[in-house]
Amino acid sequence: MTVIFGIAAVLAFLGAVGVVVSRRTIYSALSLVANMVALAVLFLLLDAQFLAAVQIIVYAGAVMVLFVFIIALLAPGAEERLRPLELRVLVGGIAAIAFTAVIGRLALNGITVTAAGAFHGGFGPFSPQAVDAHGQVQTLGEQLFTTFLLPFEVTSLLLLVAAVGAVYLSRHRRTTR
Amino acid sequence: MTGLFPGFLILSAAMFALGALGVMLRRNPLVVFMSIELMLNAGNLALITYARYTHTMAGQVFALIVIAVAASEVVVGLALITGVYRSGRRLDIDALSEMRE
Repeated sequence: MTVIFGIAAVLAFLGAVGVVVSRRTIYSALSLVANMVALAVLFLLLDAQFLAAVQIIVYAGAVMVLFVFIIALLAPGAEERLRPLELRVLVGGIAAIAFTAVIGRLALNGITVTAAGAFHGGFGPFSPQAVDAHGQVQTLGEQLFTTFLLPFEVTSLLLLVAAVGAVYLSRHRRTTR
Repeated sequence: MTGLFPGFLILSAAMFALGALGVMLRRNPLVVFMSIELMLNAGNLALITYARYTHTMAGQVFALIVIAVAASEVVVGLALITGVYRSGRRLDIDALSEMRE
């Protein structure tokens, strides 16, 4: 498990670096696909099988196809290279490393985990064994449609608004001056 | 079984920092959107990590909702970018300093 985590984590990190530093937009998009596939593997390691499938289908499938389609349509040229010694890149890189170091220190020190490895406030009822016995998708679905019904409905409204907005924005206007 | 827990969180933090860097340093709006996706994915990873290690389900449910939010954000954002492109402007964040037609 540790080996799989190591491989997937390195792939995800390299994909994330590739998104930011690639000069060509299409390389950024392909790096993002690699990042998302590696993330799906990590989700599997975290016993979130349904979300791993959704990650592949929705992100690596739908969203990235849309991205690649738009990139092919607009054909944006290559950007100038990010020079690592430029001031803004230097400051940003140091800030990013500092942020990661702070979070890592908190995670390693256990801001949320007590010395014995237990969490403050105790564990919830959904241990991996309990979820497996009941069924992963069943548990997620039951929670989604009972406890979290309101966020779910708000999300459906958001999707409707996004669809209407996209249709409005991309409709052909004849009177553009 | 809490051995890998900090590893997941550190990876999530690193991905978020890289996404923020991309948003701040890059000029191409498409790359900026991809960096935003990167940050949303980092948040998803942290949510699912905590859901797994606290034995709760809320993290997974909200990761699902974050995926839906990200999908709708991409749809509207790409529609905006194609709109900017069709109006004849260069695809450069710095060149888009005005919000008028």
